[in-house]
Amino acid sequence: MPVEVIMPKVDMDMASGKLAVWHVEEGATVKKGAALFDIETDKAAMEVEAPASGRLHHILAAPGQVIAVGAPLAFIYAEGEAVGPAPSVASAAATATPEPAPAAADAVVTTPVAAIAAVEVANGTPRATPVARRLAREAAIALESVIGSGPRQRIQKDDVEREIARRAAIKPAAPAPAPVYAAEPAAPAVWSEESGDLHVTTRKGTGTPLLLIHGFAADSAGWMALERALPRDLPLIRIDLPGHGRSPRRRIAGFADLARLVVQAFDRAAEGPVHLLGHSLGGALALALADIRPRQIKTLTLLAPAGLGPEIDGAALNGIARASATESLAPWLKRLTARPDGISHDFAKAAMLARLDPDLRAVQSDMARVLFPDGVQGFDLTAALDRVTAPTALIWGRDDHILPWSQALKAPGEVALHLLRGVGHIPHIEDPEALASLIGRHLRP
Amino acid sequence: MNAQTAIPEVKTREMSYAEAIRDAMAIALERDPTVILMGEDIGVYGGAFQVTGDLVERFGTDRVMDTPISELGGAGVAVGAALTGLKPIFEFQFSDFAALAMEQIVNQAAKMRYMLGGEAAVPLVFRMPAGSGTGAAAQHSQSFEAWFGHVPGLKVVQPSTPADAKGLLLAALEDPDPVIIFEHKLLYKMKAQVPEGYYTTPIGKAQIMRPGRDVTIVASAIMVHRALEAAEKLAKDGIDAEVIDLRSVRPIDRDTIIASVRKTGRLLCVYEGVRTLGVGAEISAMIAESEAFDYLDAPILRLGGAEAPIPYNPDLERAAVPQAPAIEAAARQLVRREV
Amino acid sequence: MTMKDKVETAQDNLPFAIRHFSPDALRAALKKMYLIRLFEEGAEDSYTRGLIHGTMHLSIGQEASAVATCMELTDADKITSTHRGHGHCIAKGAEVGRMFAEFFGKETGYCHGRGGSMHIADVKTGNLGANGIVGGGLPIAVGAALTAKRLGRDDVTICFFGDGANNEGAFHEALNMASVWKLPVIFVCENNKYGMSTSIERSTAVRYIADRAVAYSMPGETVDGNDFSAVAEAMHRAIARARAGEGPSLVENLTYRWRGHSKSDRNRYRTKDEIESWMARDPIARFRADLITHGILNDESATALQQAAEADVAQGIEFAKASPAPQITEVTKFVHAEVSA
Repeated sequence: MPVEVIMPKVDMDMASGKLAVWHVEEGATVKKGAALFDIETDKAAMEVEAPASGRLHHILAAPGQVIAVGAPLAFIYAEGEAVGPAPSVASAAATATPEPAPAAADAVVTTPVAAIAAVEVANGTPRATPVARRLAREAAIALESVIGSGPRQRIQKDDVEREIARRAAIKPAAPAPAPVYAAEPAAPAVWSEESGDLHVTTRKGTGTPLLLIHGFAADSAGWMALERALPRDLPLIRIDLPGHGRSPRRRIAGFADLARLVVQAFDRAAEGPVHLLGHSLGGALALALADIRPRQIKTLTLLAPAGLGPEIDGAALNGIARASATESLAPWLKRLTARPDGISHDFAKAAMLARLDPDLRAVQSDMARVLFPDGVQGFDLTAALDRVTAPTALIWGRDDHILPWSQALKAPGEVALHLLRGVGHIPHIEDPEALASLIGRHLRP
Repeated sequence: MNAQTAIPEVKTREMSYAEAIRDAMAIALERDPTVILMGEDIGVYGGAFQVTGDLVERFGTDRVMDTPISELGGAGVAVGAALTGLKPIFEFQFSDFAALAMEQIVNQAAKMRYMLGGEAAVPLVFRMPAGSGTGAAAQHSQSFEAWFGHVPGLKVVQPSTPADAKGLLLAALEDPDPVIIFEHKLLYKMKAQVPEGYYTTPIGKAQIMRPGRDVTIVASAIMVHRALEAAEKLAKDGIDAEVIDLRSVRPIDRDTIIASVRKTGRLLCVYEGVRTLGVGAEISAMIAESEAFDYLDAPILRLGGAEAPIPYNPDLERAAVPQAPAIEAAARQLVRREV
Repeated sequence: MTMKDKVETAQDNLPFAIRHFSPDALRAALKKMYLIRLFEEGAEDSYTRGLIHGTMHLSIGQEASAVATCMELTDADKITSTHRGHGHCIAKGAEVGRMFAEFFGKETGYCHGRGGSMHIADVKTGNLGANGIVGGGLPIAVGAALTAKRLGRDDVTICFFGDGANNEGAFHEALNMASVWKLPVIFVCENNKYGMSTSIERSTAVRYIADRAVAYSMPGETVDGNDFSAVAEAMHRAIARARAGEGPSLVENLTYRWRGHSKSDRNRYRTKDEIESWMARDPIARFRADLITHGILNDESATALQQAAEADVAQGIEFAKASPAPQITEVTKFVHAEVSA
C-alpha cells in the first residue's frame, strides 16, 4: 500500500494550505524526513517532510493550488512496489473526523472513580485508602491479608481496624498468668506449639559477617538503629529466637534447649566464621555458641549479657512479656533505658503493635518462667566466659536496671570491658552510634 | 442564621448582607479621610445592587465617586490613587466586568509592590458582585475567584454571611495590599445579626460552621449555606458532616482544612466557579500533599460549576452550579463508600 | 522705543529655556542629558558583556524630551513612565548607581533586583515606575492626580507614554476621566514614530497625537521633542494649568529612538537614511550648542560636564558590579507587606 502524502494542518485555525513547490519530481525517490514540498498559509511558509521512503507517484496538486487540510497530494510507493492507478481520492479525502459527541453535562455530581467498571484486573497490589495503608503499616499487617469492603474491594480504615481486632481477639480472654517468680507454678498459658527452624535473615555485604542474637522479648527488628550506624557493607546474619519475631513458637525445656536451637540455626546459616554479637539473653546464647563452636567465631561481643550472675529484674521481664496494652507495657519498657524519658510513647506504641498477638505473649511468658524462675537467672555461663578463645568485648550500660553491670567484673583479664555512661540495658537503641564505633574497633584486628 | 464571627459580648443588629457592606463602608469613610468609593452608578443610583445606597448623600460626590463606564481606566485610577495615598474601594457592577480591567488588577495592582522591590504599596479593595441565580446569563453570573486566586500579590475573599461581609471589608481596608472581595449576589438580601461598630474578620482564616465527624465539606460563598442545608439532611441519617466556610481563597487556611480532614478522613469541596482548575482542585491537591493524606479513607470529591457558560433558562441555570441535594448525595456517597 | 523696551525685546527673542531657567539649572539639565545617554550606552555595553539579562528599551536620541519635561518638577510631583523609561528615571532624580544595580539584578537596585529595566522606579523622587504594559501607566497617573486633588496637595503628575499607547483603550479612558474630573495630570506623548515596527502613519488615524486632545476637551500641543526649550515651554504652560486646578493637558514631543525597539530588533522597518537624518538632530548636541551660543557654557565647561557624567556612569557600574545579589530564599519577599511578628 502506498503511503498517502496529505496537506498537513500546521496552524491552529488552518483549514487549507497553498502548495508552493514540490522538491521531488514524479517518480523520483524520496527519503523519509527529507523535504518533500513547501506550503504557504496566511501566516507562514513551511517545508513539509516526506512521511515515508520510496518513490513519489500520483502527484495530485500543482504549485499554487489551494488544498484542504487532510486532502491527499501524492503517494509514496515503497521501492519495488507495483505502481497501480491512483488510489481512490474520495476515500482518502474523507479526512474530516466527526467531532466526538459532547459528553453528557455532568457538572454537579461527578463520580469519576465509581464510573470505572469493576473489571480492573488486580495487579497484585491491594487497593487501599491512605489511612488503611497507614494503619496496616503501623500494625505490621500485610494488606493482602485484609478484606476490603469499599468499592472494587478497596480496603478502608475500618477493614484494617477489624483485622487488628480479630488478631487481638484470637485468644480473647487469655488467662492472666501469675507472676513468673510466684512460688507456685502458674498454669501454663494456652498456645499451640509450632515446629520448624528458627527464622534467620541476612544482609549481604563483603567480609566476615556479623551474627546478631537479640534479647528476651525482642526480635531482629530491634537491631535496626544499630544496623544503620554500622558500616553499610558489613554483612549481617540475624537469628530470631523461638517464640520471638518470625520464628516458630516452640516450647523450650531450658537454657540448654534454647542454646541447641541457636546452634542449629547457626550451623544452617553461617557459611564460615562469623563475628558474633548477642544482647542480654542473646548475649548468654552467643557465649554458649562461642563455647560450642569456638573455631567458627572470630570475635565475640557481649552486650549486657545474661548468665553472669543470679540478679535480674524479673518483674520487668515478666511485665514486658505479659503486657497487652501500650499503657501496661510502657512502664516496664522505661526500665530498659538509663532515663525514664528514653522511651517515648510512640516507641512503646510501636513495641506493643509488634506484640499484639496474645500467642506471642503467652509463649514468651512461658519462656520467662523457664529461664528466669522466681525472678533469678536460672543458668550460669561464667565458666564459658573463662573458656572463650576469640577476642571478646563486654559492653554494658552503667545505668542498666535489668542486669547490673557489676556482673561484668567476673570476666577474665583478656576480655575488654566497656562501661557506657548514661546508657541502660539497651545500648543498641539508646546510643547506636557509640556502640557501632566500639564494635567497629573490636572487629578490626 | 447566626453570624459566626466570634465577637464576644458585643451589641449586634440585624442587617442584610448588603447593609452590612454599606455599614462597613460608612464606618471606613468616617474613620479614615483617605478612603474613597469609586464605581459605576454608586452615587445617587445607589449601586447596581443598592449596596452603596445613600452613602453619597452622607459623604458627598468627592468621596463617593461615580466613574464613567471605563472599567480598565477606573481600576487603573484606583491603583494610581492607592499608590499615592488614598484607599479606594472600587466597585465593579458585576465581577464579570473585571475581565475588562484584568490588566490593571493583575499586571499592575498585584505586582506593583514586588516589581518595585517593596518600595510601593497598593492598598485598595475591589468589590465584585459575583455568582449565578439571578437569570442574568453568561456575562453577568460568573465566579472568578480562582482566576484572581492564581495571582500572587492579590488577596481574595468570599464572605458568606453579613457579619463576615462587614468584617472582611474592614479587614481588607486595613490590609496594605490589594484585596478582592467577591460578594454573592444571592446573599445581598440575606439577613443576620451583625456586630455594631468597627471590627475586622481576619483574612486567610476559614471558619467551621458546623462541626462533624464523618466528612469534611469545604464550601465558599453561597455554597456554605447549601452545604449546611445538606448537612442537616445528612444528620437525619446519622451522617455527621463538618462544614467549613473557606472565606478566603488566597491565602487559603491550610491548618483548619487539614485538621478537619485528619479527623473525618473524607473531603468534599463545593464551589460555584467552574469545576476544572477551580478552588476545589487547589484544596484537593493541598490535602494530597499534606499530612492529612494518610488519614484519607475515600477519594476526594469536587462539586463545582458546569463546564459551560451560565445559561439563561432557570432550570439550566440551577443545574449549572452545585445545589444542596447534589452536595448531600456526594457526601452520602463518600460516607457510604460508593466512590 | 526706549532702551528698556529694547532689552525686553532682546530677552523675548531668546529661547524660552534660556529666559526661564537659571544658568545652573541649564547646566544641570545638560549634565542629566549626558548622564542619560552615557547610562544607556553603559547599559548597552554591560548587556553585551552579559552583565544584564532580559532585554531593555533604549531612549538614546530622546534625552531632551525626558529632561525638559521634568525641569519644573519637584520630588512631590509624580511621574508614571514607560518601558523606555531610563531617561525619565534619571531626569526625575534617580542615581545611576542604583539603576545599574537594578539592571544587574542586585539587591541594592531600586527594586532590589525584582524589577529590572522594565520596572525601574524611584518612589522617593516621585517616579511611580516604568511599566511593561503599553498604556499601563495612563490610568495610574490619573489616579495619582486624583490623590493630589482629594488631599488638597498642589503636586502634579506627568504621564509619559509613547505613540503606541495612544491606540490603547486605557489612553482614551484615562484622558476622559482626567478631563471630567479636571485633574492635575499632563499626558506627555513621546512620539518616536514607531510602535515596535509599526509606524504612526500605519497605526494612528490622526496626523498628530495631540489632535486627540480635542476629543477630551483639553489643550493639545505638538512640539519638536528634540528641542529642549520647545518641550520645556510647552510643559511650563501645561504644568501651570494643572497647578491652577484647570485640568489636564496633552503634550506631544516628536522625537526618535536611534536604537531599535529592544535588544532583539533587526531594524527592518526603517531606512538608514531616516535614522541618520534623526541622528543629525541630536538633542544633546543641539542643547549644548544653544547653551554655548547664549554664554551659559563654553566648550571646555561643556566637556567637563560630559566627563563628570562619564565618571558617574563608570562609578555606577562599579557599584552595581560590587553589590550583592538578592537571597534566593527571598524569592517571595515583597509580594505582600512584611507582617511584623
